[in-house]
Amino acid sequence: MSKPLIHRSPMPGLGLSMGITLTMLSLVVLLPIGALLLKGANYGLAGIWETVNRERVWSALFLSFRLSLFAALFNLIFGVMLAWVLVRYRFPGRRILDAAVDLPFALPTAVAGISLTALYAPNGAFGSLAAEIGWKIAYTQWGIFIALVFVGLPFVTRTVQPVVEEIEREVEEASATLGASRMHTIRHVILPMLMPAALTGFALALARAVGEYGSVIFIAGNIPLVTEIAPLLIIIQLEEFNYDAAAAIGIAMLLISFAMLLVINLIQVWSRRRIGYV
Amino acid sequence: MSDTGQIRFRAATEEPPATRWTLIGLAFAGLAILVFAPLIAVFVEALAEGAIEAVRSLASPDARDAIRLTLTIAAISVPLNALFGVAAAWFITKFDFRGKAFLITLIDLPFSVSPVVAGLCIVLMFGANSAIGGWLVAQGYPIVFAMPGIILATMFVTFPFVARELIPVMIEQGRAEEEAALTLGASGWRVFWTVTLPNIRWALLYGVLLCNARAMGEFGAVAVVSGKIRGETATIPTTIEMLYQEYLSVAAFSLAAVLTLLALLTLLLKTLLELRHADQLAANHRH
Repeated sequence: MSKPLIHRSPMPGLGLSMGITLTMLSLVVLLPIGALLLKGANYGLAGIWETVNRERVWSALFLSFRLSLFAALFNLIFGVMLAWVLVRYRFPGRRILDAAVDLPFALPTAVAGISLTALYAPNGAFGSLAAEIGWKIAYTQWGIFIALVFVGLPFVTRTVQPVVEEIEREVEEASATLGASRMHTIRHVILPMLMPAALTGFALALARAVGEYGSVIFIAGNIPLVTEIAPLLIIIQLEEFNYDAAAAIGIAMLLISFAMLLVINLIQVWSRRRIGYV
Repeated sequence: MSDTGQIRFRAATEEPPATRWTLIGLAFAGLAILVFAPLIAVFVEALAEGAIEAVRSLASPDARDAIRLTLTIAAISVPLNALFGVAAAWFITKFDFRGKAFLITLIDLPFSVSPVVAGLCIVLMFGANSAIGGWLVAQGYPIVFAMPGIILATMFVTFPFVARELIPVMIEQGRAEEEAALTLGASGWRVFWTVTLPNIRWALLYGVLLCNARAMGEFGAVAVVSGKIRGETATIPTTIEMLYQEYLSVAAFSLAAVLTLLALLTLLLKTLLELRHADQLAANHRH
């Protein structure tokens, strides 16, 4: 006996809600993504490879993923610390800090882009300080890194915060009564509990950074082979009406980010199994 | 140990004060550099030539057209996404069917697609040299480089916001109240308006708030599909880019300040909702 596709239910509105859901999902999301994949299928694997396998495209893809990884790693460490500080400590200004964490979600990327550029340009508030020690930030890979840290900032903090709230003090007390130092408790008891949530936030920050465009292009300088990110290459191809090449790079980006999410999901499954904590 | 010679005990589940204050200091310093500085910089740059100049640049035709277009786009795409969110949450939480997890994954998909790739998808689907797009252009309804394309791109990137907010809340609330109303003879719509909607209104508002902030600020996807035609398809974010690239810094940052104020208002309302109605928002409302 096979399970029915849809169970009978006394609830009204099945047809209407299913109709709206599937129609809008198809029209807005699925058909356009299908159009991209179809374009890629027509272009063929060989064509995609030919487009992607050029120095400028490789260096853009490599740059996007490398800097996204660094930014997400920074956010992993800073985000876990921030979540800990916001949940465990009481100090004046805590609420404002807590609300400020969400600003990168709320602030439009183009605004963040020009604002960070104004700060880190050689004549900007931070840029001029850095210039004194000969450190150029805007229009170099450092600038891209900073923009990507900004957009990924909330993810780890927001996924870890609820987990810190739920840690029972008894666990820490038990560890302390058994003679563990505070450092030992943090490393071997607390951090492992935070790990799955932190990795989830890390994955979200990474996925966001890889596709990020608005906050990066202003500060990047966009020099081919040096500070040109992958999404910008798509825009350049589109402006030249080179739709095949744009689709090829788009598909490459989709595949790599899905692959990365998959890898990180596997790490999560593994760490959950090892630690036995969800 | 304190100066008076008394021994002060520290709980075993606390860090030493020095560690604690170092961490708090790092949190303040990090957020000051990463979040507060860019926030302040927007207003400093906008007011660089005085408040009058900033206001004058907002009254320019480019700025006014951009503001009007962005408000129109949000007024169309946000209600449509709210409609989708309510319908999807109703379908997913009130019925049992196969493939539910897969459907939720598909709804979340736009969050893992780059906005530029999202725009690209819409260009490939509805652009003038696609089958559908070509036919629509021949009928006099261009999608790409026109308003419908911007609306589609905006809806794509904001698609999951409302549904994601409603689904956990409606799962938690279950179906018992609706079932009781139905057995008492209420019609389907009456159940929705008088039982379900009052239960989910704050979560709905929360989702709409986030959706609206993103819709008004979306840049990457809109930049791809809009063609950035002055006075016609230039939204606030794409106009900021144009002004900035023409070295019209005050004009660019004045428009940016408008969006920043909107972002701050969104955060304020969001924080208020979290404080007042935490019990009626999704348990994991922080995402």
